[in-house]
Amino acid sequence: MRSITKVCTAAVAVLALSVTAAACGSDSGGAGQESGGKTTITFWDNNGGVRTPIYQELIKRFEAANPTIKVEYVGIPIASVQQKYDTAIAGGATPDVGGVTTSYLANLTGQQALEPADDWLAKSPVNGRLLDSMLASVKATTPDGKLYMAPATSNLDVVWYQKDKLSAAGVEAPKTWDEFFTAVGKLTKAPDQYGWTIRGGAGSIFQLLAEAYAYSGVPEFFDASGKSTVNDPKNVELVGKIAALYKKDTPEADVTNDFPKMVAQFTSGKVAMMHHNLGSYNDHVKAFGADKIDAFPMPVGATGKRTIVANPVDGFAVFKNSEHKEAAWKFVEFLLSKESNSYWNQQTGQIPANKDAQGDAWLNERPYLKNAVSVLADPQTAVVSPPYYLPQFSSITKADTEPLFQKVLLGQMKPQEFLDTMAQKLTEAQAEWKQAHS
Amino acid sequence: MATETIARRPERVRVQAAPGRRPRRDAGRVLRLYVPLALYLIFTLVPFYWMIVFALRPTGSTAPVPWPITFEHFATVWNDIGYATFFVNSAIVGALTLLFTSVIALMGGYALARFRFRGRTLFMVALLCTQFIPGAMMLIPLFSIFRGLGLINSLWSLVIADTVFGLPLSIILMSGFVAAVPFQVEEAAMVDGCTRTRAFFAVVLPQLRPGLIAVGSFAFIHAWNNFLFALMFISRQDNFTIPVGLSYTIGEYSADFGALAAGGVVAAVPVVCVFAVIQRYLVHGISAGAVKG
Repeated sequence: MRSITKVCTAAVAVLALSVTAAACGSDSGGAGQESGGKTTITFWDNNGGVRTPIYQELIKRFEAANPTIKVEYVGIPIASVQQKYDTAIAGGATPDVGGVTTSYLANLTGQQALEPADDWLAKSPVNGRLLDSMLASVKATTPDGKLYMAPATSNLDVVWYQKDKLSAAGVEAPKTWDEFFTAVGKLTKAPDQYGWTIRGGAGSIFQLLAEAYAYSGVPEFFDASGKSTVNDPKNVELVGKIAALYKKDTPEADVTNDFPKMVAQFTSGKVAMMHHNLGSYNDHVKAFGADKIDAFPMPVGATGKRTIVANPVDGFAVFKNSEHKEAAWKFVEFLLSKESNSYWNQQTGQIPANKDAQGDAWLNERPYLKNAVSVLADPQTAVVSPPYYLPQFSSITKADTEPLFQKVLLGQMKPQEFLDTMAQKLTEAQAEWKQAHS
Repeated sequence: MATETIARRPERVRVQAAPGRRPRRDAGRVLRLYVPLALYLIFTLVPFYWMIVFALRPTGSTAPVPWPITFEHFATVWNDIGYATFFVNSAIVGALTLLFTSVIALMGGYALARFRFRGRTLFMVALLCTQFIPGAMMLIPLFSIFRGLGLINSLWSLVIADTVFGLPLSIILMSGFVAAVPFQVEEAAMVDGCTRTRAFFAVVLPQLRPGLIAVGSFAFIHAWNNFLFALMFISRQDNFTIPVGLSYTIGEYSADFGALAAGGVVAAVPVVCVFAVIQRYLVHGISAGAVKG
């Protein structure tokens, strides 16, 4: 009884002390501060965790080269980055520099949170050194055609495969879709091994569209009249063929596969080939070793023309609320320099935006990456740009249609009906957007 | 007050098996009781088993048992991802939330149980209604308030938000516990010369132990697991908590399942320990508070 009384008295005392401490020692938020002649800028990494050590190294180099600027790193988990930015914008506590991708750039510019980069780039040493295709991709995302994000890297959809599994089955990396479907059949030895895995859960639509356009060779997302090409007969044909692989040449669990589950299946060795992008390179190397895996670009369809769907471009943006824009741009400039951009992309296994970095030796030592760069640089490659600028694009390709693709896999919906539904939604969204920006 | 009741348990009559015969097992009882329990236990524990397997086996291994054992994933989460810091932050937030919630819920619960005042029912309904508001909806208003108070990037923002969100349910639960203690015992203490405060500490509080444990453990676990507030109110790497650290293991294009599982084990240990210590109070606590609330 006495002990409880003592505990309660102590608790009340701690409570009182704590509240006092809170009032006195609260920590202020907000952007950069100046202390001791140093300017502090805040940098939010939009894919915190895996990339944290890479940025820590680059920040160390930057601070050594710029002793008057201190960079405060904050890693934001990728799954919540949009919500974090939205909350920060609404609360007026944005960082100075943030990692941003074209997939949600329109959302940020719609809230007028970002500073245009055009003037900075015109005067910057990296002007003319960034890939034109990436710059164009960023500019196409916003209605005013300004550059709100400096591109740093891009990606390409590829098919990862285990070399030994293909060798054992006497299969070579497929170049065409016909070869691909034959290879999948040969590689399947169910239930011990499957030739392919389908992303049936979260994020399924982007991958499916990348496969469909590569198969059909349709070069645009919308035709001249603004009608979506998603339900092109060849696209429908491909979706039907992919759905036919389900459970026969793929694990049954694929219907709920999101990206982590799909990669887990592949790295467990049970699946011989998997469609993803260059970004998962490190996971595969960790699981198999660099010499055991390789990747080939999306196979070529009946048209004979290689067609790829452009992946989101990743880069850096300076926020309008920043009180230290000069220091912020300096940091962005440093990150996009040949050395930094090369180092970053070497670590992540992606395509550098800096043209000079693309000539570095490490890139040529990785055949899959060299191949990817040459595919992107090939003038014969048709690049289909998804309409990231549509505010509804994310909801259409996720919440609205992912469950429908699952129905297709389960045989509850025809591919034609599925793609017609998506096409109608995209066409309507495009018409709305055109009307709003005409 | 000093009356004592001795409850006698009915004596069990043991039936001795005849000499030379093994006692027969009640097959029906095994089927009814142990089989469902065993199935439920397997259902509950298999995910934990897989978490431990992933945490302890090397990357790339597909073995169903964690052999050979490796601790590299624990080293990754503790050193590289920053769990050493996140763990301390989570412990501070959890402990302070537990403390504040318990103390305030105790006071609020006592007031609701013992005093009849105008608007009491309305207040109870209002407390219940707050449970229907999701935390995400309050995010931006809370963010603005904390920013105005200079609490953004401070662990205090998490302690306050977690306490505020946990309080309504805690107060309702606690009022049930207080109501279960007959007022007559408090009156008897006051007749013996205690003040109301003294009577509360001497007579009521010792009987509220299960309630305090139930409310405190809920508050701690809620604060320990809260991801949304931890990510939104904090924008400083050194002030993040365990749930944010856990989400670092799933990147945009890569997922480190070993680190995710090891992080899950580290995050689960304090919660499991809390439950191990309090479980005997908890069951009684929840039922007592709920039924008489």
